[in-house]
Amino acid sequence: MALKKGTAMHKYKLMISALSLLTSATFANATDVNLWVRTSSGAVLQALAERYNASHPDKIVVTQITAEQMVPKLGAAIAGGAPPDGAVLDLIYLPTFAAAEGLEDISDWVKSRPEAAAMSPSHIRLATYDGKIYGVPALPDASIIAYNTDLFEKAGLDPAKAPASLEEIAEDAKKIAALGDGTYGFYFVANSGSWLIYDFLPHIWAADADILSEDGRTATVDTPALRDTIAAYRDMWKAGAIHPTSRSGNGNNALEAFASGKVGILMTGSYIVNLLTSKFPDVKFQVAPIPGPKGGVSSFAGGDTLALMKGIDEEKKRVALDFIDFYMKPDEQVFITQESGMPSRTDLAKEAYTKFDQRNLVAYDVLSKARTPYTFSSDELFVARTGPFVNLIQGAIFGDEVDGSISKAQEDFTRILERTNP
Amino acid sequence: MASIIQGANTRTDAVQMNEAEPKGWLGLIFMLPSIAFITGLFIIPLIMTVWMSFYNWPLLGRAKFIGFANYIELLGDSQLWHSLGFTLLYTVLVTAAIMIVAFPLAMLVDRPLRLAGFFRTIYFMPVVIGFGAASTLWMWLLNPDSGVFAQLLLGSGLVDSAPRPLESFWPALAVIILMVVWKTAGFTMVILLTGLQGIPADLIEAAKIDGAGVWSRFRRITLPLMRNSLLLALVLNVTSSMLAFDQFFIITQGGPENSTISAVFSIYLASFSSYRLGYGSAMSFALLVVLVAISSIQLTFMRQRPEES
Repeated sequence: MALKKGTAMHKYKLMISALSLLTSATFANATDVNLWVRTSSGAVLQALAERYNASHPDKIVVTQITAEQMVPKLGAAIAGGAPPDGAVLDLIYLPTFAAAEGLEDISDWVKSRPEAAAMSPSHIRLATYDGKIYGVPALPDASIIAYNTDLFEKAGLDPAKAPASLEEIAEDAKKIAALGDGTYGFYFVANSGSWLIYDFLPHIWAADADILSEDGRTATVDTPALRDTIAAYRDMWKAGAIHPTSRSGNGNNALEAFASGKVGILMTGSYIVNLLTSKFPDVKFQVAPIPGPKGGVSSFAGGDTLALMKGIDEEKKRVALDFIDFYMKPDEQVFITQESGMPSRTDLAKEAYTKFDQRNLVAYDVLSKARTPYTFSSDELFVARTGPFVNLIQGAIFGDEVDGSISKAQEDFTRILERTNP
Repeated sequence: MASIIQGANTRTDAVQMNEAEPKGWLGLIFMLPSIAFITGLFIIPLIMTVWMSFYNWPLLGRAKFIGFANYIELLGDSQLWHSLGFTLLYTVLVTAAIMIVAFPLAMLVDRPLRLAGFFRTIYFMPVVIGFGAASTLWMWLLNPDSGVFAQLLLGSGLVDSAPRPLESFWPALAVIILMVVWKTAGFTMVILLTGLQGIPADLIEAAKIDGAGVWSRFRRITLPLMRNSLLLALVLNVTSSMLAFDQFFIITQGGPENSTISAVFSIYLASFSSYRLGYGSAMSFALLVVLVAISSIQLTFMRQRPEES
């Protein structure tokens, strides 16, 4: 309290001196750094900023932006010449903004950090364009599956053994659905692009295939891995093992459906552990990495990356980088883990998780293997509800035209990539 | 300018202040606020839209002049033509539905009863909700797991499993039309009501004395005399339906399989999903041309007096 009063006093004095020195161009003052943060991460970043501001003369000011509006707003702000100082945004947009020369190169600073080697590899890969690094992980997460151990037991499955392949998931799901009484074996969110890349693409990566080439410039939609994955999903859908809301669901009911104890296996993300244990403590569940159609595991490295806008003033840049150093400290990493389920660094498992549910470690361990599509047109290809990726899943899994849907997706992907590749 | 004022002055002198004409500059001042608004919020953006439509204008990066390339691409854009066709289908269906609901409502509340005012308010209430808010509300009402409609239908035993209208085209379009009728019929009702109330009671009285029945009074007196308010209601409904966006963006999200993408929605997608601001501008301008054409046809009808046709 005394400290707070002190800072308030200090601020007051600074204001007076600022007023008296208005004519002078060079006066010492606390620097405000404005960060735009997508709403889903807003609360955690706000809390981190408050912790930082309480112990530093400079201020981190967090402005929350609705997730879907981050790209258009930030793009418009950059075009209009009035961007914020930095942004904490979905890592998938980093290549787009870096290629458009909107971000500040911080390669040397990142490489000189002691924790550089412990930053999520997929976050750094996405933040790298043309050999330069433009961002650091802020709040990572990774997609995983959660399964209801009670239902596994009832269906005669071993709850201690997670399904090792998607085909095994399909068999398990059918057995669980056979329990009847409104029980379904499987739930995935099929009507939202951001959910689908998060939960569906890892099946394909686990089989060492990908939907885009390494550099993100060529579409490689039609692979045996994709066909095997779709076949397993169709098998479950035909058998009535998939929860009917999966098809039109946008994610709003997924958690509640699983928490109701009527869903065997849920395609979800690392945050589920803390969310379920705090909100629905009665649900008996276990988590596991997402398997490929015939084995192997992978995950989608999601979450946020902090990037600075190109041309940021040196003083503000210093404060922003100092803020990154601040939240990378072990104490703050524990706080981040408590608030959002996963630390930004991959070398702090012991410190970060001792106090928390050990099931969190499943996602943490898979993060180093997790991938993210490197793309310059995430919204148009993947996220848009009307885009080719969502239509591929809807058509190939719930429709009748598997071949047609796959070849149409390949065509649409190629057409969009030809236009948008920088 | 000076000569006009001079002329006006001489004329005023000539008529000896008999009919004092307001000064020209005073009129201009009165018009200034709306001129400023129209210039700032319509004319300048319109010019910018046309200008941008000749560019390849990405959200990020540099704009490049490409002449008519956007308009040429527009001609071959099957998604756009599909969405225009869908918008026309929607406009026809929703306008008909609104008229069918709003006309009887207007007749019902056009009674000298105390309760009529109460019902007028009830029917009008959904109009004051924003379209976005109403769409969000209906999205939740329609939710198959926790929505009110699903619970009511399941509870009453009418269906065995929760209906999922948004998974196929016609049911999706039907619930959207239902929602729009609920949302906007009250407004059309008020327009029609003013038309109804503009009909002199003695005309109806005279027709009654002449022995005209209910149907022929409606057909030969009410309808022709309501012509203008009917046309106004039509123009407003057609225009707003052609510009429909929120309900498809929020409730159907363009699905299933991109079948419910309206014209404005496809402009939105080009501009804010593909981030092609130039192409979006070209689409906007093309839609404006289509709308002006439709409205001018309707307004030509409106200008004709009933006695001329």
